[in-house]
Amino acid sequence: MFRYLIRRLLQMVLTFFGATFIVYALMFANQTDPIQALAGERPITDSQRLALTERYHLDEPFLGQYWHYMKGLLTGDFGISLTNRKISEMMADAWPVTIRLALIAIVIVAIVAIVAGVISGIRRGGTFDNVTLVLTLVVLSMPIVVLAPLARLVFGIQLGWFPPTATRDAGFYELLLPALVLGSLVVATELRVTRSAVAENLRSDYVRTARAKGLTRQRVVGVHVLRNSLIPVVTLIGVDLGNLMSGAIVTEGVFNIPGVGFNLFRAIKTEDGPLVVGFVSVLVIVFLMVNLLVDLLYAALDPRIRYE
Amino acid sequence: MSDPQAVTTAESAVGRDKPRSLAGDAWRDLRRNKIFWVAAVLVTVFVVMAIVPAVFGAGDPRDCALSRQHDGPSGNAFFGYDFQGCDVYAKAVYGARNSILVGLLSTLLAGTIGLIMGLTAGYFGGWVDAVLSRGIDVVLGLPFLLAAIVLARRLSSDPSNNGFWAVIVTLGFLGWTTAARVMRSSVIASKNQDYVAAARMLGSGPARLMMKHILPNSTAAFIVVLTILLGTNIATEATLTFLGVGLKGDAISWGIMINEAGPNVRTAAEPLVWPSVFLALTVLAFIMLGDAVRDAFDPKLR
Amino acid sequence: MLGKRPWKMAAGAAAIVMLVAGCGGGSDEAEGSENTVVLGIAEPKHLIPANSTESNGSQVLSSLFYPLVNFNEQKQPVEAAAESITSDDNKVWTIKLKPGFTFSNDEPVTSDSYINAWNNGAYGPNGNDGSYFFERIAGYADLQSKDPDGEDGPQKAPEPKAKTMTGLKKVDDTTFTVTLSAPFAGWKSVLAYTVFYPLPNAAFSSPGVLNEAFEQTPIGNGPFKVVGKWEHDQQIVVTKAAGFKGPAPKVEGITWKIYQDQQAQYADLVAGNLDVQTLIPIESLGSAAGDLGDRLKKSPSSDFAFVGFPTFQKEFSNPDVRRALSMAINRKEMTDQIFLQSQTPATSFVSPVVAGYRENTCGKWCEYKPAEAKALYTKAQGPKEIKITYNADGGHKAWVDAMCNQIKASLAVNCTGQGEPKFADLLTKVDAEQPVGLIRLGWIMDYPLMENYLGPLYSTTGGSNYYGYSNTAFDSLLKEGSEAATPEAAIKKWQEAEDILVKDMPVLPLRFGQNTYGFSERVTNVEVDLFKKVNIYKIERVAS
Repeated sequence: MFRYLIRRLLQMVLTFFGATFIVYALMFANQTDPIQALAGERPITDSQRLALTERYHLDEPFLGQYWHYMKGLLTGDFGISLTNRKISEMMADAWPVTIRLALIAIVIVAIVAIVAGVISGIRRGGTFDNVTLVLTLVVLSMPIVVLAPLARLVFGIQLGWFPPTATRDAGFYELLLPALVLGSLVVATELRVTRSAVAENLRSDYVRTARAKGLTRQRVVGVHVLRNSLIPVVTLIGVDLGNLMSGAIVTEGVFNIPGVGFNLFRAIKTEDGPLVVGFVSVLVIVFLMVNLLVDLLYAALDPRIRYE
Repeated sequence: MSDPQAVTTAESAVGRDKPRSLAGDAWRDLRRNKIFWVAAVLVTVFVVMAIVPAVFGAGDPRDCALSRQHDGPSGNAFFGYDFQGCDVYAKAVYGARNSILVGLLSTLLAGTIGLIMGLTAGYFGGWVDAVLSRGIDVVLGLPFLLAAIVLARRLSSDPSNNGFWAVIVTLGFLGWTTAARVMRSSVIASKNQDYVAAARMLGSGPARLMMKHILPNSTAAFIVVLTILLGTNIATEATLTFLGVGLKGDAISWGIMINEAGPNVRTAAEPLVWPSVFLALTVLAFIMLGDAVRDAFDPKLR
Repeated sequence: MLGKRPWKMAAGAAAIVMLVAGCGGGSDEAEGSENTVVLGIAEPKHLIPANSTESNGSQVLSSLFYPLVNFNEQKQPVEAAAESITSDDNKVWTIKLKPGFTFSNDEPVTSDSYINAWNNGAYGPNGNDGSYFFERIAGYADLQSKDPDGEDGPQKAPEPKAKTMTGLKKVDDTTFTVTLSAPFAGWKSVLAYTVFYPLPNAAFSSPGVLNEAFEQTPIGNGPFKVVGKWEHDQQIVVTKAAGFKGPAPKVEGITWKIYQDQQAQYADLVAGNLDVQTLIPIESLGSAAGDLGDRLKKSPSSDFAFVGFPTFQKEFSNPDVRRALSMAINRKEMTDQIFLQSQTPATSFVSPVVAGYRENTCGKWCEYKPAEAKALYTKAQGPKEIKITYNADGGHKAWVDAMCNQIKASLAVNCTGQGEPKFADLLTKVDAEQPVGLIRLGWIMDYPLMENYLGPLYSTTGGSNYYGYSNTAFDSLLKEGSEAATPEAAIKKWQEAEDILVKDMPVLPLRFGQNTYGFSERVTNVEVDLFKKVNIYKIERVAS
């Protein structure tokens, strides 16, 4: 187990460098004219172009730029963004609120998906199953760009249950509506996966055995079926936790939360290489950690799975 | 926990002409299943719509005039007109091709990649798993938007290209990670089952073990993930198109219709509702089809 | 035992969430002093005067700084921080400052405050967005450097020849002269712009070098000063500066609240968390009248929307093709149905907000006449395929699609709108002379003169003339106008220049913009000027 952990941590270091390299390469490939992108529709004078090109090393070849960046990164310096702000500062501003938002969302999603998934898995074809299916389809057929403003309009303005926008220091209540919207992105998959896993496990031999043994229905479902159904669900939750952090672009914009998704979106639009790579590096670390946790959970859920 | 019958499940796919093959049983089952028929009819309707939209008696989807903006339903346009004064019914019918093809093909691509990656990583474990899984982590970490813009722009740099294949490849190459991780987890869980150990002891090679014993018992979650992915891919195509890296020019698709109607939903809901209904019905059809077929092939249900 | 673990973990995770969420939460809205207002903006790009050319940064700076001149109702420049601005020959201008003004750190405002700020703004290696404003001042060229081997070459550009412009001369502490490289009658109007604000000595870490931290807490000579510092993507709080000698604002302080999304801003306005939004998004216009009632207002703005014909595409070289396309589109239908009358049809080549504007100079070519258009188009053998390229991130798809539908209906040719991800991508394609078709463009003026439309958009060397229009007669009329002795004489020449545009039709004028703004019940006297800025001197709290 210990050796397994060490190995995974070593892999992480390699993966981290691989990821920054790939993202930097992608940004470089995507670069048409970052100076114009930053200026929007304003014309740029030659001397301004010259000054900015040199300030941000934009005239150097790919490896040169990457080297500059990595040199800084290894000394703990994330560099400066093309907007002339320290990237470490921007990350310290953006990450906390996004992490809060994603955690609230994923907890809500996990509870809803597992509870509803188990119930509809047990009573397949029942009313509850069909209602959740229809609701799932509604959410699925409404892209987030439609759903998020609609939720803000209905719950934020017309009903007034929630504040229509949140801030960087938003608390649980302010983040609840954005978290619900964000969670709706992934709840469909998790719910249906739980349902199918539960349905599948209900038919298995050990359930028959357990029932034959005379165990109560609750115990059979609560302990045997659920535990055996959680592996794919936990996998999904792990993947989604990361997705919710980077994929909250629309939600963060709609609810005015200056978090990671919003910063990434802006940085990609303005071709701000160092900024994108900075955020993505941290994001990859998040994915690596979460997926390590998920892999360890497998072993906890199913004792037959062993890591050595 | 051993499940010897499952071993034969995969053979059904080959379709042997034994007197009572599993495929035959499954087909007998399906024929009696109402849900299967509903799903099959829906899928057929949408596939026909995608291939020959003209048979649905819709007008010209590109005949638009602002003077008809948000006009109500009429004999010519069953669902009324949208913000640009286009016939919503005609657009929904003609949009089926792009939406369904993009959805199906990109999901197929993502499914194939996810299947291979997940199965290999889960089955072999060790360094194979390490390399593949860390690869998945990196792809997961890539911001979808950045990767999509770069990919789609490279793929559709040719101006005569209408962006169709670029969208499919982009969605396929970026959408497989979840499916792969779910596949991997199911494989890890089922490769330790007793029947797999039994089959291994009987001398089955890795390929046979994977294809005949592990895969058939690991697809439940995988198929669910894919059917949902189908729906999201149809919608995501619109996002790409809206960013200027998706379908080119005056392409029509459900996703684009939904996105365009979204902001005006307070003045006119119909242009938003109908393409959403079409999209939801398509996904529903595939979800039901997937469920029905899986049930029919599952011997435990008999 | 193990079986219960997932539940424990879920409970643990939930507890962590509540904890994390809890510690950041509970931001109680401390209203502070009663007499303050919350105004909405987007994140400013910069808060250094010479580097602020977009409306958000200029809006914030307008509360921190006091300009040399302001505009009156007739868009004529009137002295503000300046006592007088005079010139005999429109070339050498003498600027006298009002005495007694100080920066909010109590440093006196002197001629040097202006000269140092302008030299710093114009210095090429500083890369300021607004440096081109100083172009007219003598000696500007010496502050720029040229890369000896082109942009991609390995050599570094040499240092510019000079650090100060020869055209700026200090006379005494409150007087200085500005010598232009060529006479320009409109110079006084130009001086109202953000880039001409003064900077205190505290802004510089050494002579000519700006202090890195200055941008986070700019110190100005205006009615307000920053509280704390610029909270990026969140807000900028300003409060009244005690020693300000100019006209006193009616409010004690302003919170510039920063929004990523205009619709989010609108939601906050309706929910009562925001006092003014200067631009109601089109998507919300339909319901805005109901949401806001008489708190929804309109005022003129300088926006001008048009499409250009790239000269490298020969199929558009016949003016008749361009005229036919112009007659094929129904401008009014677009402004009514797509923009819900928040914009007006454009039938001239300069905006109505500048002196010298004449209504409908385009004449019959800009009227909607589908039959005539088709006849003319067929005769001129216009192309069978029309493409309109736009940047997809600017919300242009709706009207481009509508325009295409009109062209299709009128001319019976095919027309498609083509979105490029960003404006920069569009320009890249234009530079590479790819067949982009008609290109979507827009212009917001820097100062209220006809020249500010004619020069950048239509002159051969114009910075925003992306389509490559060039007419020497036009160029020389424009120059004659700029060097004319009086503003009236200048306008006459510029109008003659506009007449050439009517003949050539290098672009299709489409729409003039308006500020469509809304405000809360807490405020009154809300005015939004030509530059999309709220008048911070007039806005008032309603006594409650």
